[in-house]
Amino acid sequence: MDEAYLLLLLSDSNLPTGAFVASSGLESFLAHGFGAPPPQSATPTLKSDTIAAFVRDSLNTYAPSALPFVSDAHEAVGRLRTGAAAPPCTLALLKALDGLYECTTLNHVARRASASQGVALLSLYAKGFARPPGHAASALPAAAPEAAAMAALVDAFKLTVRRGERDAHAHLPVCWGILCAALGLSLERTQHLHLYLHARSLLSAAVRLNSIGPYAAQQILLHVCGALVDAAVRKCARLRTGVLAEDGDGWDEVRDGPANTWPLGEILAARHDLQHSRIFNS
Amino acid sequence: MTATTPGRGRISLALHGTDAVFEELSSAYPLKLLSPRIHRPGLAVAYIISYGGGLVSGDSVALAVAVGSGAILVLLSQGSTKVFKFRPGQRAASTHSSGPLLTTTQRMDFEVSSGATLLLLPDPVTCFRSAAYNQIQTFRLARDASLVLLDWVTSGRKSRGEDWAFSRYYSVNEVLVEGRRIARDVMLLENDDAGPTGLPPRTLANKLEPYSCYATLILYGPKLQGVIRALVQEYGRISVFKTGQPAGLLWSLSGFGDGGVVVRVAGSESEGVRRWVGGLRGLEEIVGTDVWRAFG
Repeated sequence: MDEAYLLLLLSDSNLPTGAFVASSGLESFLAHGFGAPPPQSATPTLKSDTIAAFVRDSLNTYAPSALPFVSDAHEAVGRLRTGAAAPPCTLALLKALDGLYECTTLNHVARRASASQGVALLSLYAKGFARPPGHAASALPAAAPEAAAMAALVDAFKLTVRRGERDAHAHLPVCWGILCAALGLSLERTQHLHLYLHARSLLSAAVRLNSIGPYAAQQILLHVCGALVDAAVRKCARLRTGVLAEDGDGWDEVRDGPANTWPLGEILAARHDLQHSRIFNS
Repeated sequence: MTATTPGRGRISLALHGTDAVFEELSSAYPLKLLSPRIHRPGLAVAYIISYGGGLVSGDSVALAVAVGSGAILVLLSQGSTKVFKFRPGQRAASTHSSGPLLTTTQRMDFEVSSGATLLLLPDPVTCFRSAAYNQIQTFRLARDASLVLLDWVTSGRKSRGEDWAFSRYYSVNEVLVEGRRIARDVMLLENDDAGPTGLPPRTLANKLEPYSCYATLILYGPKLQGVIRALVQEYGRISVFKTGQPAGLLWSLSGFGDGGVVVRVAGSESEGVRRWVGGLRGLEEIVGTDVWRAFG
């Protein structure tokens, strides 16, 4: 399929992923008085700067902590797609990635938001993308053998989550890697789009929190986020979790592994549920 | 690897009757271990010290610790672990600034047996300007072992105007119970965030302000259940109303594994964070008032 068409589909804000209930700590950040300018000088510019800075810090911690999982899940499913790996082996790798993400995400609010969006992506694939509507013929050449294998894999993974199996949570970065690989999107596009959507979802949350207006959000998206997303991808595209690493790969946890880079964001995101009133789920 | 290799150390504590006895307590420069006499059944204390009060570029410390069944080991340090780019007064030609910066590495492996308790309560790590530090700690617990792990970092020497001015701080804490990983906390603080963006630079200080100390406290195991319950209750009572100014100290609490918690604290002063941790009465009950005072 034409990659550009897939990108349009996946970046559509109508995509049912449940991302609209997540602010990834932004609501809590604002409630705790961060980036709040003195009342008399609360100009729209200052507010814009605050949001842009939050997006930057959030991206720069999300990218190194989540992108390695996106990349490895994409790689694992890609191996199945090309016939280089068998389904049980792929499923085991996905569970290992999911279990590791659960262990490394030591923030219950982020874990909850991640798992609910991940499950939504699996459902989206199974119900929305895996097969053509009704009995209609598919216009895609993807009625190829690998499409069936992808659908079977996603169903099997969903089942392990529904059964509540150990290490099966369906975390967002893992599921995003699965979804994109199953659709045949390249790894580079998969990584870039994931971070772009993270940034866009923060801006959409900022608008709904009435912190900035919709035009300011578009300004930030065009003038600031492009460069931030590009830089984050440049820096983190090569990171891996180690789950797929084999002896001789030279993978080194300190140099090449996932990491959080923003302890303040972590504390504020975890305190989300303590807010007296809130409109988001994270 | 023997303890005579530079920077290596071993601690092995066993319970003989009601006495906690060090079966091994050995170390080699620049690492030093001291154990004061403690009059409390089943408990022993060791201080982890580095010669000259700090570690320098290229130093490598590796400590292996085993806590035997039923024993309680408290590990403290004397003053913060200072990480220099250079050894003070020894700006040797071999480490001049044009060369690649060698990272200081501290690796600690802990094995906590059945019914045993490890309390790792060092002073915070303070990385000086341009220093680079890796700390990798692995905790292997038996099913009913208990753990208190405090890992904290400050923004540098305020007296010299340092405010998150180090080059890199990387810390991993991994907890395994009977070989199964239940938590892996990886924190990386560095000053060159994402490379060139064409946007104005954003420093580490920018994104960590207004705080100059960040702490992670991990509590796990049967001996900590009382402390954990009290903390969970206290946390649950917090209600955040929209404010115009950040608080001087903030903490968060999340559960992990089965029954463990990770607490994170940010404070505008490290002493405030120390007071907060020092206020955990349940920990004082485990180690006794004298030892608890030694922590702060």
